[in-house]
Amino acid sequence: MVEQQTISARQMTIITILFSTGSAILIIPSDMASMAKQDAWIAALVGMGFGCFIIWLFNALAIRFPRMTLVEIAEAVLGKWLGGALMLLVMISLLISGSGAVLYFVGNFMVTQMMPETPIQAFNILYAVIVVIGVRLGLETLARSAEILFPWFILLLVLFFIVVAFKIKPENIQPIMENGIKPLWPPALSLISIVFLPSIVLLMVTSDVNQPKEARKALFKGSLYGGMIITVITGMATMVLGPDLAARSMYASYLLAQKISLGHFLQRIEAIVAAIWLIAIYFRITFYFYAVVQTLAHILRLKDYRPLVLPLGLILVVLSVVNYPNVAYMQDWDNRIWPALMLANGLFFPLLLFVVSFLRKKRTNR
Amino acid sequence: MLRIAGILAVAGFIVALEIPGLMKKKQKRELWAFSILLMLGVGFGMISILLNNVPSPLSGITFVFKPLSDILSGIGLIK
Repeated sequence: MVEQQTISARQMTIITILFSTGSAILIIPSDMASMAKQDAWIAALVGMGFGCFIIWLFNALAIRFPRMTLVEIAEAVLGKWLGGALMLLVMISLLISGSGAVLYFVGNFMVTQMMPETPIQAFNILYAVIVVIGVRLGLETLARSAEILFPWFILLLVLFFIVVAFKIKPENIQPIMENGIKPLWPPALSLISIVFLPSIVLLMVTSDVNQPKEARKALFKGSLYGGMIITVITGMATMVLGPDLAARSMYASYLLAQKISLGHFLQRIEAIVAAIWLIAIYFRITFYFYAVVQTLAHILRLKDYRPLVLPLGLILVVLSVVNYPNVAYMQDWDNRIWPALMLANGLFFPLLLFVVSFLRKKRTNR
Repeated sequence: MLRIAGILAVAGFIVALEIPGLMKKKQKRELWAFSILLMLGVGFGMISILLNNVPSPLSGITFVFKPLSDILSGIGLIK
């Protein structure tokens, strides 16, 4: 790299919150409700419990190799070739199914819900352009923009929660645990694979936080807050809409906002939800993309990652258009293959690094 | 035709933006990596326009992870 960029622990917390809530805010509630019915919020809590364990694993890996990015850890543990090759596979799969797919979510949402007559490519290209600009400007700029947008994100979220809270009907989540604990596992895994496991890419960023100890805390705190936001939104969607309606609509939290009418005065605040989501998802795509670019630059031993950003941005747009032929394919793929892929990338891969580093007694001198 | 011209125009814009800086700093590795990636990007773009039914890149991932997905649904972790 040309110059070392550093961010503060506070910025890291904010990035983690925005990254982990990114695509989840809009997609998770209907996902959970379709699988767990009225117990969606319990499944979300179960998922959060396991998610904390996963973040703990990431941090345990980071403690053994302070001030090293994920790709440097992989190369130190598994050797230059095997580590590099595995990292490349992980990152290519994340470029396709992470950033490319999430960019499709943005376009699909805008086309189906807000501007039906605009071609989807227009949204994808516009969004990819700001992602590319952000990544080219570097980590510090991204962190500062996260810091600027974060108060708006929280403000809108709190406003949304307050307004929706008037509509809660507790009988919608009864009977609790009607079918026992077994139906709770698939939605819990789905939540983990969307909210917690992708945070593995943030291990490419935590090494740039000025205090390593605070960085680990920030990753944990950020994921915890993100998980809590998702749990509350899931609970509210099922309590207000009822499990059936929440499961049937594709964007339950957006529908939730459309339902709101306070005294026939405060109505149609769904744009608030869209704004929350577009802020968070920007950081989702950007940090997937940033991790891919950094990994590639490190493996190719480049001094500067910036020349790779624009060509990869072009590939990103193409991927977002060809990834999902239709929405049915998308739902099937996201339900069946995505959790398996993310378990491999976000759980088995760091676990392998951890165990091998333990066996080879490899750790950097402090 | 218009869309192909669009992709070529974008590629030309990217080249005009990046190449001068890379040439001036004489960064050979960066230049190679940049050119190969740009070629890939333009190639993928062309394929996505010229073919009617582009195979989804996700199907490659499906091929690799189908067995794990089947195991997970076998033990009741995927519905």
